[in-house]
Amino acid sequence: MRRSAPKRDAPMRRAAGTRRRIDPVQVAVVQRRLKSITEEMGLTLLRTTRSPILNEARDFVTGLYDARGRMLEQTEYIPVLAFALQPACENVARFFGDDVHPGDVILHNDVFSGGNQNNDVAVFKPIFDGRRLVAWAACKGHQADIGGAVQGGYNPEAREVWQEALRIPAVKVYERGRLRRDVWNLVFSNIRLKIVEEDIKAQIGGCTVGERGFKALVARFGWPRLEALLEALFDSTERRVRKEIAAIPDGTYRGESYAFYDGVTEGSKMKIALAVTVRGEEITFDFTGSAPQTPGFVNAPYSATASALLLTFLMLIAADIPHNAGILRPIRIVNPEGSFLNARFPAATTFGNSITGPTSDAIFRAFAQALPQMVTAGWNRFLGFAVSGHDPRKQRPYVDILFLSLKGGSGGTWMADGYDHIGLINCAGGILAQDYEMFEIHDPHFLVKHEYLADSAGAGRWRGGLGVETEFVIDGENVTGVAFGDGVEEEARAFGFFGGKAGAANSIRLDYPDGTVRHAKTKEIMRGIPRGTRFHQRAGGGGGYGDPFERPVEQVLADVRNELVSIEAARADYGVWIDPETLAVDAARTAALRGGGR
Amino acid sequence: MAARAPREARYRVGIDVGGTFTDFLLLAPRGRTVAHKELSTPADPSEAVLAGLAALAQGEGTSVERFLAEVAIIVHGTTVTTNAVLTGRTARTGLLATRGFRDALEMRRGVREEMYDNRYHAPPPIVPRWLRLPVTERVDAAGAVVTPPDAADVERAVERLRAERVEAVAVCFLHAHANARHEEEAARIVRERMPDAYLSVSSRVLPQVRFYERTSTTVLNAGVGPILARYLANLTRRLAQARYRGTLLIMQSNGGVAPPDAVARLAAMTLLSGPAAAPVAGLACMAPYREKSFITVDMGGTSFDAALVRDGEPAVTTAGTVNRYALALPSLEINTVGAGGGSIAWIDDGGLLRMGPQSAGADPGPVCYGRGGAEPTCTDANLVLGYLSAEYFAGGRLRLDAEAAQRAIAERIARPLGMSLTEAAHGMYQVINVNMASAIREISVLKGYDPREFPLICAGGAGPIHAARIAAELGIGRILVPRDASIFCAAGMLRTDLRHDYVRSCAQPLPDRGADRRAVGDRVRGLVRELEAEARRALGAEGIPRVRQRMRYRLDLRYAGQYHEVTVDVPERALAASDWDAVRERFHAQHDRLYGYHLRAEGTPVELLNVRLSAIGTTMKPAAKRERRTGGSCRHALKGPRTVYLPERGGFRPVPVYDGDRLAHGNRLAGPAIIESVNTSIFVPPGYRAEYDALGTCVLTLGGRRR
Repeated sequence: MRRSAPKRDAPMRRAAGTRRRIDPVQVAVVQRRLKSITEEMGLTLLRTTRSPILNEARDFVTGLYDARGRMLEQTEYIPVLAFALQPACENVARFFGDDVHPGDVILHNDVFSGGNQNNDVAVFKPIFDGRRLVAWAACKGHQADIGGAVQGGYNPEAREVWQEALRIPAVKVYERGRLRRDVWNLVFSNIRLKIVEEDIKAQIGGCTVGERGFKALVARFGWPRLEALLEALFDSTERRVRKEIAAIPDGTYRGESYAFYDGVTEGSKMKIALAVTVRGEEITFDFTGSAPQTPGFVNAPYSATASALLLTFLMLIAADIPHNAGILRPIRIVNPEGSFLNARFPAATTFGNSITGPTSDAIFRAFAQALPQMVTAGWNRFLGFAVSGHDPRKQRPYVDILFLSLKGGSGGTWMADGYDHIGLINCAGGILAQDYEMFEIHDPHFLVKHEYLADSAGAGRWRGGLGVETEFVIDGENVTGVAFGDGVEEEARAFGFFGGKAGAANSIRLDYPDGTVRHAKTKEIMRGIPRGTRFHQRAGGGGGYGDPFERPVEQVLADVRNELVSIEAARADYGVWIDPETLAVDAARTAALRGGGR
Repeated sequence: MAARAPREARYRVGIDVGGTFTDFLLLAPRGRTVAHKELSTPADPSEAVLAGLAALAQGEGTSVERFLAEVAIIVHGTTVTTNAVLTGRTARTGLLATRGFRDALEMRRGVREEMYDNRYHAPPPIVPRWLRLPVTERVDAAGAVVTPPDAADVERAVERLRAERVEAVAVCFLHAHANARHEEEAARIVRERMPDAYLSVSSRVLPQVRFYERTSTTVLNAGVGPILARYLANLTRRLAQARYRGTLLIMQSNGGVAPPDAVARLAAMTLLSGPAAAPVAGLACMAPYREKSFITVDMGGTSFDAALVRDGEPAVTTAGTVNRYALALPSLEINTVGAGGGSIAWIDDGGLLRMGPQSAGADPGPVCYGRGGAEPTCTDANLVLGYLSAEYFAGGRLRLDAEAAQRAIAERIARPLGMSLTEAAHGMYQVINVNMASAIREISVLKGYDPREFPLICAGGAGPIHAARIAAELGIGRILVPRDASIFCAAGMLRTDLRHDYVRSCAQPLPDRGADRRAVGDRVRGLVRELEAEARRALGAEGIPRVRQRMRYRLDLRYAGQYHEVTVDVPERALAASDWDAVRERFHAQHDRLYGYHLRAEGTPVELLNVRLSAIGTTMKPAAKRERRTGGSCRHALKGPRTVYLPERGGFRPVPVYDGDRLAHGNRLAGPAIIESVNTSIFVPPGYRAEYDALGTCVLTLGGRRR
C-alpha cells in the first residue's frame, strides 16, 4: 500500500545533553505527572471561580509549556482550546524575551497575536529553575464579559474587533511578585462584571499551582535530566503520530462543507474547501479556496481553525497519544490569510470557535475513503444563546451561555451509535451541561423541561446521538439574548454517512408573555426580552452511519420502548413494524418492509 | 443491647464476604490470630458466614453458641453490592423523577471520559428510560412549593413500577435538598403500594445540591439496596439464632464502620466495603520497614481492587465512581475492576480474547470446581498451567477437576482461536494480568506516581499467582505477600477504628468583630456539643471508653461568591475561644496551599457553610507477632516437583513446590518455585527471589536484589 516508514530512533537511546540513557518508563511517568499537574490547575479553576461558565461548564484550559512556549501537556475540558494556548504562549515568550522574572504574571487575549477568541483570556506565569526560565504555566478561561459593545462578548453586529472586546496584547499585571495596580485597573475598568476580576485571580492561582508542581518535578530530576526527558517525550509523541499517519494510504483527499449565514446577509453560505494530502509520515491540510472573510463576526482567527483541525484529527488516530507539541511536527497547515478561516486584522472573529462544526464536517468527509471506520457521520452543529440581564433576586447582573440547552447528538460511526446529548464537536463531550439545581441557583431561570428529543437522531445501522429539548421561563429583567450558531437550515443538519440519514435540525423559539412568538436566527441579538418569556430550544441529533435497514431489530425495539424512536419512525426509517399496543415486532411485516423497502 | 458490657479481652472477628470466598480472621486474647476461609454462598452469603463461625468455634474447641457468647465485636465487610454493580446485576430498579427531568441519570451531564474516542460509550444506565417515570411536582431553588405533588400521578407511576416487578424505587426530585416534603410524600405512596420494595430517597441518601450527582448516587443506592438488605436480614437472623449478642459492625467505603440498620438504609456506603480495609492492613504489613507509602492489590474470585497509600494516608473522594457510575458519598479512592479467579474468558466481535468482567463467582464457580460451571475462567487457566494444584486447592478441601478445565478451555477458547490448549490458557493468564496492571496504572501513573517507587502488597487468594507478572508489567521490583494474604481485608477490619462522621449545615458569614463573634461562637459550639453528645453515645454503646474517644472538628468555608468549599481542621481551642481570626487564617493558608492564592489582603468576606465532626473510637489492634529469625534454607518445606508452564523456558518444566505454612522468617529461595499454603499459592517466576520477613510476609524481589 505504501512505502515503509524510515527507521527512527529506538526507544532506548542516548538523549542529547545527557550521558545517561533515556528510560521510556520515566518519560511516561513525567508525562503523566505533567498531566496531573495540569489537572490540579484545572481543579483550582473549578473550585474557586465565580462564573458558571468556568465552575459549571468548565470552559477553560490549563497547561504547561516549555521556555519557548511549546506545549508540554494540558487539560482540555474543551478540545477547541487544544491548540489555543501554544501560539499565544510563543507570542508572549517572544514579546518579552529576556524581560521575564520570577513572580511575573502576564495577561493575553488578542486574537491577532495567537489568541483564539476574545473572551478567552489567558494568564501566563513563567517558571524558573534558579535564574533560568524553564517553563510557563498558563490558564485560559472564557470570561463572563470582556468589554466591547455587547455584554458577554457575542456581538453579531460587530464589524471589527474593537466592537467585540477589549484587546489585551501581552501585558504584565504582576512584575517580580508586585501587582501593577495601574495596569490592573486599566484592564478591569473596561470590563463590566466584577466576577471577571475574581476569576482572573483564580486563574493566577491555577498558574501558581502549576508552577509549584513543575518546580517539584525539576527538584526531583534536576533540570538537565528533566529537559532531556521532555525532549524524549516530544520525540516519542512525534514517532507515534508519524506511525499513525504512515498507516493512512498516501494520496490527496478532498472534503467540502458549508457554514450558514454570516449574520449580515440572509441566505449567505460560506464554503470550506479542504484538500488533505498524506505522504508517508506527513500530512498537509490545505484550506485554499475556502470562502473569503465575512463582514461580520463569522470569521476564525488562525488559532481557532488550527484547533478545530487538530481536535478532529485526534479523533481519527489512537486516542491515547499524549498531547504535546510533538503531535504538531508531522502536520502542515495551509490556511491563507483573508479567508473566513484565517481572517485579516482587524476583523471581528468571536464566532470563530463555532466554525469548528463545518470544519470537522469537511475533514470527516475528506477521510471517508481513507479511514471509513474512524470517521463519524455529522455532529449536530450547535446553536447557542447567550443571555445577560438583571437578576431581581440577587439585585445584580447575570450572564450565562446556556450550555445546558445546546447539546445535540454526535454522528454514528462504524460499530458505535453516536453519543446522545454530547454537544458541539468543539468540546467533544468535554463541556458539562449545567446541573439543573445549580442553574436555577445561578440564574433567574425556572426550568420546565430538559429531556431527550425523540426522533432527533439520524437513522442508521449505527444511529446518530439524540438531541435534547429544553424549556425554561426567564425571570430576569432587562434580558438580552444573543443567538450564535448554526444548524437550523435543512442543509445544515448533521449529515448521514454510508446510507445513514441526517439528524434533526436546531431551533430556538421564544414565547413572550403577550403571546408573541419569535424564532431566533442563528446570529442575532434579541433585546428587551420581557420577564416571563418562555424559552424553548431543540438541539438536533447526530447523523446516522450505514443503512438503517441493517440495524438489528431488537435495538430499534429498545429505542421504541424507551420512547426515543416513534413507532412511525421505526416503520419508515428502520423498516421495523411494531405494534403500538403490545410493542411486539411483527416479523412478517418487518421482513416485507426491509426486503421490499428499497 | 448487649447482656454484658463488651470487653475487648474477648474475641473479635473480622469477616470479609467476597464473590467467591468468605474470609475470617479471629483475634483471640493475647494477640493470637486464626485465619479461615469458606467458599461463599452467593444465593445467601450469610450461610458461609455462619459456617465459618462454626468452623472457628470448632477450632477453639467449643460450640458456636458458646463461642459467639465470647465474641465482643464482629467487623464485617462485604463485596455483595460491589459485585452486583460490576457485573451489571443490580436489582430491577425504577425511578420517580420530577416531570421533564427523567433523563438526567443517563445524560451524565453530557460529558464522556474519553473526548477523542468515538466508540467509548458509557455503561447502560442502572434504570432504563422506560422505568424512569415522570411525576408532576415542583419545588424551586429556595425550597418553596411551586406545584404540589399530584398524588394520582405518583400512584399511577408506582402502579406501573409494581406491574413491572420492580424491586427498588429511587425517588429524586428537583431541589429536594432544599425541601424534602415532596419526596417524602412520594415515598409514603411507594411504601403503601409496594411495601416490599427497597426505597431510596435522594434527600435522605445525599441531602445536598446538584441533581445529577444526587440522582446517580440515589439510584446506585436503590440498585444495590435490595441485595444488601436481603443479605443483612439473613445475617442478623442467623446470628440471632446462634445467640450472638455482641456488636455487629459493617465496614463502609469511607474506611469507617457502622451498625447494620444504618448501613441497610444507605446501601451505597458499602460499595467499597471490602477493599476499604486494605490500606489499614497494608500499613501493618509495612511496619517492619518503617515505610508508609505502598500500593495494595487484592484479587479475589470476582473483583480486583487497587489502592495507593502515600505517607500512611489513603486518598478520600466524594467524586468517586463504581463501574463509571457517579457516587458522591465519601469513599476511599480504590480502583475496582472486574478481574478475579472466576473471571470468564470470552471472544469478542473482533476475535480478541477477553477476560471478565463477568465472573462465575462461587456458584457455579470455575469449571474445575465441578459445580456445574461450563465457562472457562482464570482459575481454570491457572490449573491447566500448573500454577494451581488440583489436589491442594483450599488446603485439599476442594479437589479440582483438571480435565474438565482443559476441556472447557480447549472447546470454548483454543478451538475458535485456532490455538493449542496451553497457548489459550496462557493467553487467558496474560490478558487478565494486563487488565490488573492497567487498574494499578490508573491509581499510580495516571495520578503522577511512579509505581516502581512503591512496594506492591499483594493480597487475595488468587493474587499471589499473578503478582510477579503484574509487577513485571509495571516495573515494580518488590512484592510483599502477607502471611494471611487470602484474608488480608478481614485482618484490616480488625485494625480499623470506629468512625462516625457528622455534618450540620450552619450557613452564615464568619464574623469579623464585635458582638457577632460570641453569638456565632455560641451557635457553632451549641451544634458541636450536640454532635459530640450523639457521637459519644454511639461510641459508648460500642464499648469504647471515653479515654479512647477522639473528636476532630472541621468547618467548611469559602470566600463569598465561590461555589465550592474548603474543609478546614479547627483546633478545639479556637472554637472554645471564638477565635475566628485564627480560623480565617487557617482558611487563607489552606486555600493558598490548595489553589495557589488567597484573598487575605483584599479582605474578601469568608462564609461558613457546614460544621463537621469526626468521632473516632480507637480500637485495640492485634499485636503484630514477630517471628524469630531462622536459617536461609527452605529444604524442610520442600514438597516435591510439579510441572508448571514457564514461557521463558519454552514450556512445561518441573518446578519445586514448597509448603508455605512451614516457611518462616529468614527462609530464602530462588524462582522458579511455587509456594503453597492452605489458602493461597505464590508463583515465584524465574529471576525472582523470595524471602520471609519477621511478620511472615513473603517478599519477592526481581533479580534477587536485597533491600
